[in-house]
Amino acid sequence: MRRMRRMSRIMMIIAAAAIMLTASTAVFANGQGEASAENYPSGNLDFVAPGGAGGGWDLTIRTTAKALKDTKLVNVPMPVRNNPGAGGSVHLASLQEMKGEDRTITVYSSPLLLTKLNGTTDLGHNDVTPLACLIADYASFVVAANSPYNSMADIMNALKNDIKSVKIGGNSSAGSMDHLQFLLMAKAAGVQNLNQIDYVSFDDSAVAQVLGGHIDLFSTGLSEIASLVESGDLKALGQTAGHRVGTGVIAEIQTCKEQGIDATFINWRGIFGPPEMPEYAVTYWRNTLKELVQTDEWAQAKTTNGWDDAYMDAPEFAEFLDQANADYESILKEIGMIK
Amino acid sequence: MDSILQLMHGFTVALQPMNIMWVTIGGVLGTIIGMLPGLGPATGVAVLLPLTFSMGPVAALITMGGVYYGAMYGGSRASILLNTPGDGAAVAATFDGYPMTKQGRAEAALAISAIASFIGGVIATVFMVLVSVPVARFAIKFGAAEYFQLYVFALAATASMNKGNRVKGFIAMIIGLMIATIGIDAQSGVKRFTFGILELQSGIDFLIVIIAIFALGEVFKSFKNIREGKANIQKDFGKIWISRKEWKRSVLPILRSAPLGFFIGALPGAGGTMASLMSYNNERQLSKHPEEFGEGAIEGLAAPESANNAASVGAMIPMLTLGIPGSGTTAVMMGALMILGLKPGPLLFQQQPTIIWGLIASMFLGNIILAIVNIPLAGGLVRVLSVPPKILYPIVLGLSFVGAYAISYSVMDFYILLIFGVLGYLMGKAKIPTSPLILAVIVGNNMEQSFRRAFTISDGTLGIFFSSPICIVLFALTIISVGYPLVKSAILAAKNQS
Repeated sequence: MRRMRRMSRIMMIIAAAAIMLTASTAVFANGQGEASAENYPSGNLDFVAPGGAGGGWDLTIRTTAKALKDTKLVNVPMPVRNNPGAGGSVHLASLQEMKGEDRTITVYSSPLLLTKLNGTTDLGHNDVTPLACLIADYASFVVAANSPYNSMADIMNALKNDIKSVKIGGNSSAGSMDHLQFLLMAKAAGVQNLNQIDYVSFDDSAVAQVLGGHIDLFSTGLSEIASLVESGDLKALGQTAGHRVGTGVIAEIQTCKEQGIDATFINWRGIFGPPEMPEYAVTYWRNTLKELVQTDEWAQAKTTNGWDDAYMDAPEFAEFLDQANADYESILKEIGMIK
Repeated sequence: MDSILQLMHGFTVALQPMNIMWVTIGGVLGTIIGMLPGLGPATGVAVLLPLTFSMGPVAALITMGGVYYGAMYGGSRASILLNTPGDGAAVAATFDGYPMTKQGRAEAALAISAIASFIGGVIATVFMVLVSVPVARFAIKFGAAEYFQLYVFALAATASMNKGNRVKGFIAMIIGLMIATIGIDAQSGVKRFTFGILELQSGIDFLIVIIAIFALGEVFKSFKNIREGKANIQKDFGKIWISRKEWKRSVLPILRSAPLGFFIGALPGAGGTMASLMSYNNERQLSKHPEEFGEGAIEGLAAPESANNAASVGAMIPMLTLGIPGSGTTAVMMGALMILGLKPGPLLFQQQPTIIWGLIASMFLGNIILAIVNIPLAGGLVRVLSVPPKILYPIVLGLSFVGAYAISYSVMDFYILLIFGVLGYLMGKAKIPTSPLILAVIVGNNMEQSFRRAFTISDGTLGIFFSSPICIVLFALTIISVGYPLVKSAILAAKNQS
């Protein structure tokens, strides 16, 4: 009887261990390629989206991996995994344990700076290795087709008369991108008491809320609204690039600048490696990504997704990040989100 | 008439041998993924993503759709046999499915589950052909206040569900609501109860709580049986089928739950979990023998099974007609479509009729294939009950950890899993029901956020919660669902006195 019990305990441990082992090898399917300058890359690479499947980061890294594969610029497997959590901060923390690694390639955008500024994490753009900025998306502000508002000026005037009169909705939480990008425009338009503006955060359903007329204005990414603007269900009041972007209905959307609001907001998306990525790997990715952005496949991907070109090589990108960080910080301080 | 013609055209697409193959592969894969704890349709579709890149958009959509409703077939297998639901939508299947197994009626339970899923899926697909656009237009009428009333209704449903001690039920619900407040509050950006732990900032995933309380709970309970050397539950197995009487009891609940599930599924953010729980409660209220619910009433299994499959069909409506992801799974599917160069939105039906109607036709086909595949599959699966507990439960334990890890690839989730596993065990010891806790964790955060959103939108006046007919209807339903059992028991008590 006693032996039976011990047997069953051992069985239990073995079964659990076996399952764990299979699972972990499946999840980290990482060919242990010899890391060296000559034959880099060999074995599997490790492409990571710091957000969930189906989100913007996920789309960017998967599209990049697909384009790299289709153009044969990279000929080793590039499995994509998701490491979501806390606006990308969870992955940022796990990257710190991969210091000096050459296999892991990841994508980040504005939240890389914002999560540090709003205190979610102590880690920021100095804790990753920038390889290249690839694309930019811009903010856009849309209202329901039957909304009384027809321009950004209508919105700003309404806010100036009564700060509570326009309810702004977005998908990110308060103090994050969808909120911040609208406040930036409001500030440039001369709206006072920015912290009094009502911003409502919806998980990912804000577009249904603006369609149904439950919120007055939806603050989102320019690439996310094309189909509903084209069908006439939504009216786009403005976008935040310095120039007209894209084709078709998107190109018809006026910039905020054209409407006399002197501000821009760029949601850049770039490719990063882990901190202290070896020099040979950095060089490889700088060259590869520079080639990638010149291919037809990449041009096609940009058109499909409504992405604007924003290619910057690593040194220029690093400078840009410092500048953007300083800009966001001063704005968040002004609107009282950072004390 | 036009849609019928389009559908015929869709069938010519869906019936191409390659597409039949894809829907079969997708459906079977979904069934398998759905059976594993923690792995639901969203994970299944995400795993498939790289594969879909090399397919055309039609094949990709058909396959992903197959995974989605396949997972609804598979999700309840483990609920019924082992009391370990694979995802939220399969929780309701434990309420009566597992008691049926304990009574030696696992075959009937598995059979009705496949039959109900099939009928629910087919009815929902018919609805999709006929009314998808009006349904989508109605769904966007749900604002924050309407969602709040909907969540309250769902929560009230379980509060009235416990037969035993109502106070204990409420304690469980409050614990669940407290768990739901963990994480960054989206409306203010404030971190709540995160204790400086990064992983807690996104809150605790309700799937972890489900796996912990159900699967680990069963493992803990099995320790005693293993120690005492108790044998397996069942040795002899019958045919996977149901009796005429069981069919009679189930048919109306199945037919009623399909439209409900379809509509709840079409609401962005509500989904299969809410649909199955609401249909379960609905049937219990309508039933002539509500006391049998929770003790192995077959209609208590048939209804949620029909509803969750219908919901998976409904969830595709906001994606296809408006370009809004209605659920986690459709969000992943939308991402895949965009990578393939499609733009989900109102114009998709006009611009890409072949793809849409091919998908819809494949859903009819897929449900037929899944029903055929699932009955013999269940015949094999039911034999899991003859596996000695000392082998079976270690495997369940291992799978629970794998499932928890697969949710966000975080080691922190192991600790959360263990903590809630122990909590669930202790609650069982104290005879506190766990279902109200689970439901509160599922709807708690959404309910709170909806309340806060509505409150901001209305400038802090409560009137918004009664400002639309939808709100008022939902509020009335809540009152009825809480009050009716009380009134009924009061009347009974009065009768007994006289």
